[in-house]
Amino acid sequence: MKTSPWKTASRAMLGLCFLAVGSRAAEAQTTVTLPDTSQTTLFTATVSEQARVIVPASVSFSVTNVANTTAASSASVTIDRIVLATATKQLKVSVQAAAAAFTPPVVGATTWAAGDISWNAATWTRATGAAGTLSSSAFTQIATCDANAADCSTTGLVFTLGAKPTVVRSGNHTIVVTWKVESIGS
Amino acid sequence: MFPFTTFRPVVCLVALALSQTPAPTPQAPRPMSFSATLTSIKVNARPGQVITRQFQLTLDADQPRTHFKAKVEDWWRSQDGQQSVYAAPGTLRHSCAPWTSLNPVESGVGPGDTLTVRITVTLPRELATGGYWCALTVDEVPDPAAASGGIGVHFVASVSTGIFLYVGPVEREATILGLRVDGDQAIVKVRNDGNTPLGIEGRLQFFVPGATTPAATIDLPRGTLLTEPVVEGEFGVGLPSPAALPAGRYLVRAVLDIGADHDIGAEREIVLTRSGQSSAVR
Repeated sequence: MKTSPWKTASRAMLGLCFLAVGSRAAEAQTTVTLPDTSQTTLFTATVSEQARVIVPASVSFSVTNVANTTAASSASVTIDRIVLATATKQLKVSVQAAAAAFTPPVVGATTWAAGDISWNAATWTRATGAAGTLSSSAFTQIATCDANAADCSTTGLVFTLGAKPTVVRSGNHTIVVTWKVESIGS
Repeated sequence: MFPFTTFRPVVCLVALALSQTPAPTPQAPRPMSFSATLTSIKVNARPGQVITRQFQLTLDADQPRTHFKAKVEDWWRSQDGQQSVYAAPGTLRHSCAPWTSLNPVESGVGPGDTLTVRITVTLPRELATGGYWCALTVDEVPDPAAASGGIGVHFVASVSTGIFLYVGPVEREATILGLRVDGDQAIVKVRNDGNTPLGIEGRLQFFVPGATTPAATIDLPRGTLLTEPVVEGEFGVGLPSPAALPAGRYLVRAVLDIGADHDIGAEREIVLTRSGQSSAVR
């Protein structure tokens, strides 16, 4: 394809004009400092107050003489992965019986009351244990984890069943007890 | 072909061996283990407002499928803080339980699975100012098949967190009623004089008479003091070791943060004995 000399000259002139205009524009511009030359993304992890709870599923009393108290084997309780809102908040561990008395093996047979179960002030790691007696009307404290502790635990919690000489039926005497982990704070 | 005459002594030997094997000892049931969110819900609320939150509980992977039941209850603590009482919704005048609904209220959770309970609080349109509270409780439902024989306790687990609603203007006021040392515990007794539950924390300072800087300072763990049914509460903290705080006469100062725009304080002289006996208070 052939291009006429006139057209070539016109294009050259037009190019010079654009160049000249562009130069004037460059002289008029001002430098602006941008607030930020990079793009950032803020990552936020919303962490709830939380904990993991490990409590025994049962304890057994091997009663060979109803006239004596009977201690169960030591029970273990662990609260770990504790995350709380402030360094002064604490978790409480407590228990409450679901009924006022054990369920005897035979309806109407004499059995133990919930209040016949007690526990020791066990040695806890990063918690303060408290001795107590089981109630069916309130949760009674077993331990309070230390403030700012990431975990607390014991392997030495011993439940004891009181003497009950009036029990005359062998078999299963059972009671349901609830472990409560509380983090209630205003 | 196995000759019968040879086979019979073998059978007898096996039977004899089995008869000598001790009976298997019943294994203790696997402990219950789970993780849960424990964040109390605390909201400055308006009458008619609707608030939604979530509670989550995750069963550990080695657990059997377990049923849980969620409920809203009234809640308070004894004066000494040793007992917690949970009661039917509406037992307390300042209960938020009647306005709170949960979904789901009962659910089975598989090993490693998470139960999410949606909490919806719908405040009435007509409501007196002050603080209202209740407790979210998630209980493990007892499994009758898991009950062991013999004489014993079958445990179930339960988690409770608080729901606190502040309908303004709230008045955070309290009075320190007493300050004592009992054994190795320092105890502050406080009365709630306002119209809302108080979060109480602070410090106890032990000054040797005439000194301007304390010989020991103990941080008081955060506690809660309600407006009913028990308006007085005791907040205790363990004393430092006798090496850090020896027996002697001290001016003990309590400085409490009750969430108001000012702290409250009290001080009194205490003769501290570190023999495990109660200390005299003067």
